[in-house]
Amino acid sequence: MKSSALRPKWYVIWGLLLPTILLYGFVVIIPLFNSIRYSFYKWMGGPLNNFVGLDNYSRLIHDDEFWGSFQHTMLFVVLCILGQIGIGFLLAIFVNSKLAKFQSFHRISIFFPVVVSAVVIGFIWSIIYNKDVGILNWVLQSFNLDNLIVPWLDDPKYVMYSVTAPIIWQYIGLYMIIFLASLQSIPQSLFEAAEIDGASGWKKTIHITIPMLNGTFLVALMLCIAGNMKAFDHIFVMTGGGPGNSSMLMSLYAYTMSFDRMQMGYGSAISIGMLVISLTIIGLSRKLLGGNQS
Amino acid sequence: MNTTTVVDKQTKQTNPNLKKVKTSNGIKRTASLILNVFLFLLSATCLFPIIWVAYSSLKTQKEFSLNIISLPTQFHFQNFIDAIEITNMGTLLFNSTYVTVISVVLTLVLGFVTAYVLSRFTFKGRAIVYTLFLLGMLIPIHSLLIPIFALFNSVNIANKWYTLIFPNVAFNLPIVIFLIENFIRTIPKELEEAAYIDGSSMLKTMFYIILPICKPVLATALVLSFLHTWNEFPFALVLINDQNLRTIPVGLANFTSSFTVNYPQLMAALVIAILPVVIVYLVANKQIIKGMAAGAIKS
Repeated sequence: MKSSALRPKWYVIWGLLLPTILLYGFVVIIPLFNSIRYSFYKWMGGPLNNFVGLDNYSRLIHDDEFWGSFQHTMLFVVLCILGQIGIGFLLAIFVNSKLAKFQSFHRISIFFPVVVSAVVIGFIWSIIYNKDVGILNWVLQSFNLDNLIVPWLDDPKYVMYSVTAPIIWQYIGLYMIIFLASLQSIPQSLFEAAEIDGASGWKKTIHITIPMLNGTFLVALMLCIAGNMKAFDHIFVMTGGGPGNSSMLMSLYAYTMSFDRMQMGYGSAISIGMLVISLTIIGLSRKLLGGNQS
Repeated sequence: MNTTTVVDKQTKQTNPNLKKVKTSNGIKRTASLILNVFLFLLSATCLFPIIWVAYSSLKTQKEFSLNIISLPTQFHFQNFIDAIEITNMGTLLFNSTYVTVISVVLTLVLGFVTAYVLSRFTFKGRAIVYTLFLLGMLIPIHSLLIPIFALFNSVNIANKWYTLIFPNVAFNLPIVIFLIENFIRTIPKELEEAAYIDGSSMLKTMFYIILPICKPVLATALVLSFLHTWNEFPFALVLINDQNLRTIPVGLANFTSSFTVNYPQLMAALVIAILPVVIVYLVANKQIIKGMAAGAIKS
């Protein structure tokens, strides 16, 4: 009775999967292995004939620029975790509060930057930071805070913070929505029971909301790490990694090395380094924070 | 059980002390005021930069540099005409549109078929296929810029009208497959068994019975792949050289490097660039917010 439609032949199954696998293999899998191969060559984009073994990797280990970009990436990811998840969570609690009015308006407007292209956000913020026409300095001046004005994108001391702020700002809405969704799934009876026992608003948050959202925090954290390791577009537009290398992330460094300096062999080694570091960090944080979550 | 409720009632009855209730109402009102003002400020912070760019794009350069915050005294639409001409916006919009439409349709069709096979059939190699897609969600896509650039050049498919469809579909597929696969698992198998008994073939069952049920998750997948493709930047930057094939993000990135910056004009270009997304967002913000949250949690 179980017809061929319920248990199709192997060639039917693979026939259906074939287009996807061909496309995916061509764009993702083959390039992934090629990348490893290129990293053993000194290669400027022409014929691949100058095999150098592990030279690119020993150069990578001693490359201060690369480790600088690694440090920037780490600082950047940590700031994004604090900003996006921290502020996103607080906002979710506020918006979800019974006292808040116009909840859907807040949701729609706080989420809005999420859908705008990163390139456009980068441009908007370079105008915001501009020393002559920027709105940030205008705001500081109108509050008589002129002494706080710095060359936001031109001072190596501040530039990492300046380029991180727009990215945190853009994605707060996404984390707020994620937390809102799981806040609303907490059974109301828990809060009612706590109220009967006389728990105040903050007590409820600390003893019910936060423990109930454990899983969501983990999901948000993974998303935040994986997502921000991929950051590129905003900073490409705002500073291109400068001034000097002071806002260079790993992704930007690999791009600059490969497509501006045309050192594609070494650029591939950087890419592989970045890949290994990313996967290690994602794997480690998953292990550390309770491996039983899928 | 009964005794505790009785005790609660008693304490409630003895507790109420009119004064206390009044002050706590006062506190509540102040808290509510502070909270709402704060939330409005935050919402404004999220909207204002974009609103500022929108109305400033209608000022002349002189008017803008004299006072960056004031509203335009009259609408100076010349910025838009100039921005469209300088950036070649017509071509950019056309390219972004067809690349997005084709990529999204392909993503949904391939994603649905793949998800159906992966969720309904057990076969040798299934775990490997699954792992490969999982890998695609974890690797930072920038680590593939060089090898994809090299591969596309060597088989001569870089810099063509269809070039960007490949990476867009391939990088959208994993998340779309996982979303749909998760959804199909919740559909009872009996539905298909009944269909087969009635003589429906596998393809017919897949497209006429399962596909309509999957509408909500397909809407989510549509939202995600539309936004990813429309906003995609690094591959468009690396794989396309021809001015006539550029998409909006790359066209914008080249805008400032080629001209001395006329800010209202740049702002006009930014407004045109985000207008399609804004319109879609105004119409479908509920689905977009829900879809992106679902996509984020599943990934």
